Amino acid sequence: MRIEYINPFVESAFSILKEVLNTDLKRGELYLKSSSQTILGVAAIVGLAGGVEGRVLFDMTEKTAIGIASAMNMEELNEMNELAKATINELANMITAQAVTKLHELGFKFDLTPPAIITGKNMEVTDTGVEALIVPVELPQGKIEINVAIRERT
Amino acid sequence: MKTKMDFPNINERKPEGLKETGDSYKVLVVDDSMFVTKQISQILTSEGFDVIGTAGDGQEGLEKYKELYPNIDLVTMDITMPKMDGVSALEKIIEFDKEARVIMISALGKQDLVKKSLMIGAKNYIVKPLDRKKVLERVIMALKQ
Repeated sequence: MRIEYINPFVESAFSILKEVLNTDLKRGELYLKSSSQTILGVAAIVGLAGGVEGRVLFDMTEKTAIGIASAMNMEELNEMNELAKATINELANMITAQAVTKLHELGFKFDLTPPAIITGKNMEVTDTGVEALIVPVELPQGKIEINVAIRERT
Repeated sequence: MKTKMDFPNINERKPEGLKETGDSYKVLVVDDSMFVTKQISQILTSEGFDVIGTAGDGQEGLEKYKELYPNIDLVTMDITMPKMDGVSALEKIIEFDKEARVIMISALGKQDLVKKSLMIGAKNYIVKPLDRKKVLERVIMALKQ
C-alpha cells in the first residue's frame, strides 16, 4: 500500500483531535499488517470506492472512546451510549472529510461511505489482497489506531 | 454605604440570541448527528437563542419548518443526511418561504454543495468542527442580513 494514502488521515486526525480535544498528541511508529488484526473494542469504519478502494478504521478501546466522547461533549459519559457513538461517528466523519479533501487535491478520486461504528469484544478485521498500514496516536484519553487499507482499483 | 447596586454594570451586554424586543430568536436545528445537534443547541441556548425544534433528516426538517412557520427565525441545516439531504431541504424551504434564513453545516470537502446552497438562498455556512465563536459569528451574520 502506498504511504501517500495514510499520511492525510494521520495529519487530519492530528489537526481535528487537537482542535476538538484541545490537547497535545503523540504519534507512534507506523507499522504494517497483512494478516487478521484484533479490533480494540470500538471502531469507526469508513469505506472508500472509486479510483482507489478500501477502508479506514479508527480503532480504540471502549474506555478511550468514552473518554473522547466525554471530552467532546464536555460532560462525563459512563457508557458507550447513543450519544457516545454519535460523537465518535462525527469525529471519524470530520477526520475523513479533511483527509479526503487532501487526497482529492493530490489527484486521487473516490467517494466515501458514511462512518459506521462497530463495538464488541474479540473481533478481528481481515483484509484480502491489501495490507493495512497502522499509525497509533497517543492522547490523554488513550490510544487511537488509524488503520488504513487502500489499493488502487485495477 | 455604597453597595454594588449603586454602580451600573458597564460590562453587561445583551445576549446575541435576544431580539430588540427581548424575545429570543427561534431556531430549528436539522442534523442527523445527535452529537452535532446537541453541540449547536448548547452553543445557541447559552447565548439566549431558543431552539424550538430539531430534526434528523431533510424531510423532517422541511415538515417542522412548515409546522413552526411563521414563528421561526433561523434554521441550521446539515448537508449530508439520509432521506432528504440538506441542499434539497433548503430548496424546498426557500420555495415555501422566500425569506427563510438557513445556515448550512458542512464537513470539509463539500465546497460545491456549499456554493450550490448559497446560490439557492442559504444565508451562510459553517464548516465542522464547530466551535462557539464560529457558530455565533455566522448565525448573527445571517440574522442581520
